Amino acid sequence: MSLWQVPRCTVAITPKSTSSSRNTHRAISVLRPLALHTPRSRCLSTPASQTEATSTINPSEIAFFSKLSSQWWDEQGEFSFLHRMNPVRMQFIREKLLEVKRDGEYEKDGFRFDRGGQDEGDHVKVMQGLDVLDVGCGGGLLSESLARSGAHTLGIDASSSNVAIASLHASADPQLSPDTFPSSSTRPTSRAGSLTYRHAAAEDLLQEPKRYDAVCSMEVLEHVDNPAGFLETCAELVKPGGHLFLSTIARTPLSYFLTIFMAEQVLQKVTSGTHTHAKYVNPSELISFFQKYRKPSVAGESGRPWISRTYEHGLPTRTEAEVRGMVYVPWRGEWVLAPRGGSLLAPSAQCNYLFWVRKPL
Amino acid sequence: MSPCIVSVRVFLLSRQRALPNVAQRVRKLSTGAASGPHPEERDVVIVGGGPAGLALAGALASYKHVRDSLSITLVEAGDLSSVENWSLNSGSFSNRVSSITNASQAFLKAVGAWDHVENDRTSPIEEMQVWDGVSDARITFTASELGLTAANNDSGVSPQMARLTENLNLQRGLLRHLSASPGIQISDKVKVKAIESEVREGGGWPLIHLSDGRTLRARLLVGADGFNSPVRSYAGISSFGWSYDTQAIVATLSHPPRTPFEPPNTTAYQRFLPTGPIAFLPLSPTASSLVWSTRPPLAAALTKGVSGVLALMINAAFRLPNVSMEYLHKVILEAEAAGTPLTLSQIKDEISWREKSHNIDKHSAFSSMLTESNQTGMPLEHSETLPPLISSIQPGTAASFPLRFNHAESYIGEGKGSRTVLVGDAAHTIHPLAGQGLNLGLGDVECLARCISNTVLQGGDIGSHTALLPYAQERYIENHKIMSACDKLHKLYTTTFEPVVWARSVGLEVINELDSIKAALMLSAGSSPKGRSSHRPGAAGWNRAAQGIEGLAGGFKVASMLGGAAADVVGSGLRQLLKSLPQKN
Ligand SMILES: Cc1cc2nc3c(=O)[nH]c(=O)nc-3n(C[C@H](O)[C@H](O)[C@H](O)COP(=O)(O)OP(=O)(O)OC[C@H]3O[C@@H](n4cnc5c(N)ncnc54)[C@H](O)[C@@H]3O)c2cc1C
Repeated sequence: MSLWQVPRCTVAITPKSTSSSRNTHRAISVLRPLALHTPRSRCLSTPASQTEATSTINPSEIAFFSKLSSQWWDEQGEFSFLHRMNPVRMQFIREKLLEVKRDGEYEKDGFRFDRGGQDEGDHVKVMQGLDVLDVGCGGGLLSESLARSGAHTLGIDASSSNVAIASLHASADPQLSPDTFPSSSTRPTSRAGSLTYRHAAAEDLLQEPKRYDAVCSMEVLEHVDNPAGFLETCAELVKPGGHLFLSTIARTPLSYFLTIFMAEQVLQKVTSGTHTHAKYVNPSELISFFQKYRKPSVAGESGRPWISRTYEHGLPTRTEAEVRGMVYVPWRGEWVLAPRGGSLLAPSAQCNYLFWVRKPL
Repeated sequence: MSPCIVSVRVFLLSRQRALPNVAQRVRKLSTGAASGPHPEERDVVIVGGGPAGLALAGALASYKHVRDSLSITLVEAGDLSSVENWSLNSGSFSNRVSSITNASQAFLKAVGAWDHVENDRTSPIEEMQVWDGVSDARITFTASELGLTAANNDSGVSPQMARLTENLNLQRGLLRHLSASPGIQISDKVKVKAIESEVREGGGWPLIHLSDGRTLRARLLVGADGFNSPVRSYAGISSFGWSYDTQAIVATLSHPPRTPFEPPNTTAYQRFLPTGPIAFLPLSPTASSLVWSTRPPLAAALTKGVSGVLALMINAAFRLPNVSMEYLHKVILEAEAAGTPLTLSQIKDEISWREKSHNIDKHSAFSSMLTESNQTGMPLEHSETLPPLISSIQPGTAASFPLRFNHAESYIGEGKGSRTVLVGDAAHTIHPLAGQGLNLGLGDVECLARCISNTVLQGGDIGSHTALLPYAQERYIENHKIMSACDKLHKLYTTTFEPVVWARSVGLEVINELDSIKAALMLSAGSSPKGRSSHRPGAAGWNRAAQGIEGLAGGFKVASMLGGAAADVVGSGLRQLLKSLPQKN
């Protein structure tokens, strides 16, 4: 059973959510808070014109949502590992965007020697003004970080409760909801991004013309019934030259041991049934997907594959795609990004990993 | 000694139990406070404009991406303009000084604040002499011996272990640095009246009510508000500790310059008397600073008494055998209690009589009497083993502070107190025998600023537990090690219990060979980390120091097994001492 069915709540924040695409693959949240099992029959619908505003939440529902919210945003609770993973995801996204930007500048301006002192500035600005889509935003952990970094962020989730939770959480933060905080005038405005949440599946967005500079979908793929279809949808939503970021879990004995045997059964840190090992996707499978996948033909032209060549050890070139393992360091209580390179069989890529691929221009 | 420790433990427990109540009361009280209609939004509210708070503001301002994206306000009850405009004639010095380690200096330089600290008013410490007041066992070490090279400091002249700096000189430098770098709002002469947790589903943010009527809503509330931290009480963080039943007398000392035949006045001297250590810290060729930890009644008598008495007693405290110091303390306190404090000449007579009975030649370096005899310009024999004779105390500089040990149970608030973090004395208060208090605070600030900077880079929420956790993890253990080493040293040395003193005397001589204790006693040395992100190097040394102190005591346990009645006595004495020391470090 896929997670999006779990909340049997009929809350509809955007009318689109009940579109015909229900039975296709969906963006779903990574883990379900236990409270989601509680059947709720109350309905909270909003006029179609007010699709995203947080103010559309019925106050009487707030108490209910905040119970869920306290799970998503309980940093020491069930989601603690996601909270700690978040900076590493952001680091990867940022570094990759920066790298591509610099490669581009290099091609344009030739080699520039003196980059000293600019690094931090570049780091900060690289996401500013980008249109970024977070598919399966859950409680909004990644979406908030993207928006704070200056991206115009749209977070979507097929679970309306998650969207409500994410909206409620963001509404407390003047950086994310500047309109509700008139007195935040003293705030430096250098990095104004924006944040919008919608109750929608990725497929729903295909019908709209808008495409994104970057599409992120973190810890979603391993919960999807039709991963190929899901990847196609995400890929289509990316602008030419844009980026697709994924994080998921490799299907290896190690990942079974860590994410299911240890996390769910032994330590019971994660609700049992959260993960299904057979659904895990290996990096090599993602790579071969994007070796075959072509950007949809424009005006009869057939597109070229996103990954046009790989090295002997199966890894793509750095300018087309990248796989990076994420390793948990228990004594630091921290996730770290595994060093670059190595092979797909390196231990660091045997469990949680990040994947980036760029849509050809 | 041990009964006293037992009572300390009880005190500790009752404190722990009492504290949450205090916190609750504060919170209730705060909720009653009228919240203004429109709280002003801030990303960082720093409460406290002491060295820690100002350094944090300065460090945050030094990261461009931090000051560009965060709104930061510092609130201080006192008048900071008087600190920014503070000035004293050259030659006179404020009585509150701190030895700033090389690591702290490197941090302040990286931030850009050290350039605003008036260098002429600071003095390097190039050598340290530490000795036991009872056994006279002594260790000496120099910066070069510690592998600190001249390249470690700006002067390029000689290697230093630390730099003695008036707190005000540092705070003024930090303020000047802040006014040169925009982006931080400073509200001084404004008191934090109450703090409450905003009522909001899913967890509210701290609301800080100020005495000027404003209310700030903080993404992150930093308690840099000193020992009695209101932020710590708001966050419901309890702390454990005790007061040492000791006061530290501080004063600025005037003395003649060293002769050309003596080493310059860049040596710090510290004598461990059973009543507490007395330290002489060089500020200039003719001025130095005193930190003398002693029993409260004595501190009161000496600081409030006739001005010449303190100078005389300081000279004696570095020179007279301990028995005579004890005797002097006794007569001073008795006279005080009788309402007839001793006059200057009475004390002079007492001291010279005592010196005679110890066969101390009044023309030698070991005499506390200022004599006219030394006009040859030739130094007296062994004069380099003692600080110069104090001729007077700079007027108005004698004061005393109670000493305590205090460590918050956590540096970050949770639950209702979330979005709070503690730095500096709000998180920990330490015995000044090692001159580390401020340096620990600067270490906190350096780490917290780095954490905030990293979180901003990753688009994270700087008030979140996830963002603050690395700070707490890095600093808590490190501070704890240093604090417990200092605490153990204090307890080891403030005893006259014979076997322990014997052990100490042996110990100190053994120590001379031992890196570990040297590290502990060297205390204020720190090497010079390159770049802001480098780890403070002191931790390993402190760890060794703490182990060394335990090893030292453990060694005597072994000695006691060698047999013989004497050894048995020694052994049991040490066992008692060991029991009385906190077990874990
Ligand atoms: C005798 C003695 C000698 C020492 N020697 C050394 C040494 O050699 N080396 C060393 O490193 N350290 C030394 N220390 C320790 C050092 O002085 C302290 O560690 C240091 O001052 C702590 O700085 P801080 O900024 O954390 O706190 P503080 O200096 O205590 O500053 C706290 C600030 O918060 C403000 N505040 C409090 N409550 C409120 C409120 N409600 N509203 C607004 N503002 C508020 C206060 O006005 C104050 O300015 C010594 C200490 C003593 C007592």
